[in-house]
Amino acid sequence: MIRTIVNDKQLLFGILGLIFLLLVAVLAPVIAPEDPYYYGPDVLNKLGENGHLLGTNKMGQDIFSMIIHGTRTSLKVAVISAFISGILGMLIGGVAGYFGGQVDRAISEFINIFMMLPTFFLILLIIALFGNSIYNVMVVIGITTWPSNAKLMRAQALSLRERTFVKAATAMGESRLQILFKYIIPNGVFPVIANTTVGMSNAILTEAGLSFLGLGDPNIISWGQMIYDGKAYLTSAWWIATFAGIAIVITVTIFYLLGDGLNHVMNPKRSKGKGV
Amino acid sequence: MRKYLVKRLLTGLLTIVIAFVINFLIINLAPGDPIKTLMGKESDDPVLRAALEEKYGLNKPLHIQFFSYLKTAMRGDLGISIIYNRPVADMIAEKLPATILLVLTSGVLSLIIGTAMGIVAARKEGTFIDVLFSGFSYILNSMPSFWLGLMLIIIFSTVLNILPTYGMTDARASYTGMAYVLDVIKHMILPVGTLVLIEIPMYYRIAKSSVLQVTNEDYILTLRATGMSEKKIFNKYIFRNAILPTVTIFGISLAYLITGVSLIETVFAWPGTGRLVLTAINQRDYPTLMGIYLIMSVSIAVVMIVVDIVYAILDPRIRY
Repeated sequence: MIRTIVNDKQLLFGILGLIFLLLVAVLAPVIAPEDPYYYGPDVLNKLGENGHLLGTNKMGQDIFSMIIHGTRTSLKVAVISAFISGILGMLIGGVAGYFGGQVDRAISEFINIFMMLPTFFLILLIIALFGNSIYNVMVVIGITTWPSNAKLMRAQALSLRERTFVKAATAMGESRLQILFKYIIPNGVFPVIANTTVGMSNAILTEAGLSFLGLGDPNIISWGQMIYDGKAYLTSAWWIATFAGIAIVITVTIFYLLGDGLNHVMNPKRSKGKGV
Repeated sequence: MRKYLVKRLLTGLLTIVIAFVINFLIINLAPGDPIKTLMGKESDDPVLRAALEEKYGLNKPLHIQFFSYLKTAMRGDLGISIIYNRPVADMIAEKLPATILLVLTSGVLSLIIGTAMGIVAARKEGTFIDVLFSGFSYILNSMPSFWLGLMLIIIFSTVLNILPTYGMTDARASYTGMAYVLDVIKHMILPVGTLVLIEIPMYYRIAKSSVLQVTNEDYILTLRATGMSEKKIFNKYIFRNAILPTVTIFGISLAYLITGVSLIETVFAWPGTGRLVLTAINQRDYPTLMGIYLIMSVSIAVVMIVVDIVYAILDPRIRY
């Protein structure tokens, strides 16, 4: 186990990065020098001015503290939306692949159609109409991104249902639902997990994009929103947008590394084109 | 071939219908009651309500409402913007050319650059260039496009002061002819550059992995055994086979660009549909948003189908 991790550089850096992100999120109040919601007297301070490592914004909030606390928002968005998308994908794809026939044809066609619709804009539309709380954002990202997970799960279920142990379970008289939850989904879950990790990166980028269009949740601190705020001060206070963006790049890269690493380890067949 | 064509066209048509259904459902499920808005906050007269519902057909069952919605939308009537009081279809049509200019230019450029980088990296697998390109594509892949745009503005406008960051033309000068074209090109450099950088990783990965894959095929080994020159093998066999998957990616990338371009247009104040999206969001102009969503869905469906058909013509092996 440990050897596999150390051998796969992407997985190793992904896991180390994830531990780092989790530490930052958990220890945010300890690491951050100031309360990120504190509107101080130091307005638009430069880097290092008055002890503000990365400067302050127009409200006098400490940028460094905001970035540290923003980790919590990003991780929350990534995990919850990817979780919803993974569960939905697994159930729908599992049913399609295992039940087969008409059910499969209908669901597959539906997946194909759904994959052709512009997801980001659909999310944008729903958030604009139904309100931009961070929970809405997470749920909507989750329920609009499941098709790729469903496709993977379907392919797994298609091959698993021909395997001897599943046939044996059928012969033993286990019901179809029992087989689906006891054998098909647990055995086919690994590619979905890897894909979900990549989905986390996309969720973070989507949340940032929504915030940048002014559809972020104003009650929380998020990196996307910091970039949105910083846009107006691009020439006078470049640090507001710049560092929040770097935080996004680092976090998203970590999740991509993790996803690629998991993919190599969990589907050894696909690791042929290594490092791609 | 004909069977495949019919199947793809049917799926495409179904996609467009689903886009209409989603749009319709969202309008109906969204919080807020249009009749209440029309009547005003204070009034609560049931007779007036019934009359208004009758007038707008809101008392009919949902599926009847849907068909009348479909009928008007098919005629090109996407409703009236509640802010500008103009037909949404007209507003979109006005802004569309600028967006298409941006999307097509960056789509083609990223296809060429990304694929070329992927081929070079695959030919020199494991060398410094490969590692450099792969790392570059990894980082670019993790970047929010709009942030990259802002960073380019800081570098090329604030620090170096060589490129314009705002709009499509210089508003203070009224150029004509060649000078106008050059002015537009100058304004395009940053937004197109951003989009190209964001799109490169997609082509890079596909081109690299497919070149690597084809290179490992048995028939290439056979060709090598016959003593054919490495250059000829590459030009005649590897390149042709490896380039095919990029065609499908081109379709997906164009589809992604059509929606993704909104963010970039916002950054650079490019006068396209993305700006329309932004103002519509800020002013809660829902008919406009819905109209743009519909147009985007339909154009993406069309692009994807065209690409699939082109792909099927290019590669006879593909018949799903």
